Amino acid sequence: MTKKYRTSFLHFSLPAVVKWAFVFFVFVPLIYTFILTFTGCEKFLSNFDQLDAVTFLLLLKSGSIALAVALLSTLTGTFLGFLLYKMHIKYGSFFKIVLLIPLFLSPYILAVAWKDLFFMLLGETQFITSVSGLVLVLTTIYAPLAVLITGNALMNIDSQIEESALMISRFGRVFTRIILPLIKPALLSSFVLIFIFSISEFSVPAFFGVKVFTTEIFAQFSAFYNHALAVLQSSLLIIICILLLLGEKNYLSEAPFFSIGSKGTKTRTYHNKKYEPLFLSALILWITISVVLPFLVLFVQAFNGGTSQIVKAFELLKPTFATSFWLSLTGTAITLFIGLTAAYSSVRGTGKANLFDLILLIAFATPSIILGISLIKFYNQPFFNFIYSSYAIILIGYTGKYTFISTKLIANAIRQVPLSLDEAAQIAGISKSSRIRKILLPHISPALFGAFIISFIFNLGELGTTIMVYPPGTEIMPIKVYTIMANAPQALTSSMTLIVFSVTLILIGGFYVTGKKLIKIPQE
Amino acid sequence: MIELENISFSYPDKKVLDGFSLSLNQGEISCLLGSSGCGKTTILRLIAGLEVPGKGRVVLNDIVLSEDGKNIVPPHKRNVGFIFQDLALWPHFTVYKNIAFGLEERKVPDTKERVRKMLDHFSIADLAGKYPHQLSGGQKQLVAISRSLVLEPDVLLMDEPLSNLDVTLNRKILQHIKDLKTSFNVTIIYVTHDHREAFAIANNVVVLNNGKIEDSGNVDHIKNSKNNYLKNFLEY
Repeated sequence: MTKKYRTSFLHFSLPAVVKWAFVFFVFVPLIYTFILTFTGCEKFLSNFDQLDAVTFLLLLKSGSIALAVALLSTLTGTFLGFLLYKMHIKYGSFFKIVLLIPLFLSPYILAVAWKDLFFMLLGETQFITSVSGLVLVLTTIYAPLAVLITGNALMNIDSQIEESALMISRFGRVFTRIILPLIKPALLSSFVLIFIFSISEFSVPAFFGVKVFTTEIFAQFSAFYNHALAVLQSSLLIIICILLLLGEKNYLSEAPFFSIGSKGTKTRTYHNKKYEPLFLSALILWITISVVLPFLVLFVQAFNGGTSQIVKAFELLKPTFATSFWLSLTGTAITLFIGLTAAYSSVRGTGKANLFDLILLIAFATPSIILGISLIKFYNQPFFNFIYSSYAIILIGYTGKYTFISTKLIANAIRQVPLSLDEAAQIAGISKSSRIRKILLPHISPALFGAFIISFIFNLGELGTTIMVYPPGTEIMPIKVYTIMANAPQALTSSMTLIVFSVTLILIGGFYVTGKKLIKIPQE
Repeated sequence: MIELENISFSYPDKKVLDGFSLSLNQGEISCLLGSSGCGKTTILRLIAGLEVPGKGRVVLNDIVLSEDGKNIVPPHKRNVGFIFQDLALWPHFTVYKNIAFGLEERKVPDTKERVRKMLDHFSIADLAGKYPHQLSGGQKQLVAISRSLVLEPDVLLMDEPLSNLDVTLNRKILQHIKDLKTSFNVTIIYVTHDHREAFAIANNVVVLNNGKIEDSGNVDHIKNSKNNYLKNFLEY
């Protein structure tokens, strides 16, 4: 008589529970908001007449700004990515890290710094608070993302593919006919992702006073209390973002560019001694513009009138430190847990994770402000009051925004661990949980740690969603700065921003040093 | 005549060749035989111009191709074909385009005709519209060979091209390679770690060990060599 092999319930249901929890807490509110547009008291047709020419012109304006930012960032990012990942450049590894700093800072920090810089250089000028200024600042913020995406793709071109072309044609032709077509998915993904981020960006245009679609949604929701129109406008933006994402969903769902410690295939790098000083200068110039200058300007502005403003700024921010820290840490723990579970089941599971990957991607790419509105609309009900009026709603916001990145970082790390390591342990009779803890986790610890730092820093600086959902009386760092900056003197705003900037950098540094000490990667 | 004179070459973490010299005759199939890491692929890459010797020079038919850290003739102007271990077919091009690309770059007027001839020679005309991922291992191999031969190279460099094929296919392709010398009048330098492959096709075998030549000569000479390393190597 044969005996049926029984698998424990918990054994296979944990990923499902985690995924369903994410879908319920994050994705359902988004769907709910979308459905609200067509049903109930906020009917699509009855509000349609509010979507007048002015709204569409504003959407066109936002789209044009996003188009310019996506084009400029992708072009700049591809050039810088090529220099960093395909050329022999002195201190290349250092540049790769420093260049990414703007990605880890809240955009409003850089917006303040750029406004200060133009004020210092040109006095009262309208340039930086114009559409051109907005494009410039957003390009410096998002070009590093293009470097990350295109650099990863360039690094993964098999050297033999390039070399077989170099046997036939000169480098220029090889670049245009072989290299560029091969990284086309990365170029398109970079363009799409940056377009979505730019059209969704709220804090920079709001700070510069440039009226765009997101600021209009915010105004309708928070100032005019016209929730129906805000939801309708949000739905328009969600549709645009989802349509764009669907075009590139295969590459973006995999997100190979979110990886830590992957060496790529044997890639070919080029020496060019003649132009190396020029390339080095280009990199230094970019880093000066996008990283060094903002920090220096904030520093100068903050200490312009002595230390009084910095002391005042510190006093104002002091109550926010602990709350921000613990909230970010809790958010990070949740994102990492979901990320690890989803990544494991996606890479080592049944292979049916595509839909969940798409859900994560949609949540990630949904404009922050719209995610915020969705969470409010969904949780502002009597039976969800315990979420709506507590930090839980902020944590849900963090989870929705950043679980995608954690999941991809971890999944791409798991892919690099040979399956045979797990199979050998499985044959030796080692339980699944032990195999995960004692074999898989040590191998992916750098990626886990990277995901931890990135999630933590992103949570710490999150503004778009948090500003919509934070319960009254909550003291959180970015909210404090944002709410004060509208009416405070320039030096106080700069001081507060400098403190937030410094706290972020200190935490990144602290985590990095701790991680280096703690993490031991198994050597093969 | 292909000459490598007093070549020194290092990768950042490893010295591969130190004062290495080799001369190979035109019109022959020469095999560089040796275990992994002995420097055989590096020698091919130096001839191709994908690497430049730190010291020494590479000469082809009395033309200095590279010398003391300088790449005098760039890879695409050496008229040398290279078949890589992974074949390196361009994944975004069809079979036809993979073969035609080099001719188009050189603006050869009868590109279509030459590609068609090559496709017919290897009986792969029906694959012209397919992409590399739609081909079997053997078909890929023939496309890679066609891609190199269509440019009528003086020298064809082959870096363990059969390492990913099964035994039957291996024999079939080996026969194709053997026929190339007569059909296309091309000099072949073939790199392998498998002495059976080398003995099956080579006129001349050069046995390498740690960047040095242990012995060289025709197949009979190598088979009867008294060299201890070689005797040991051939046992496996």
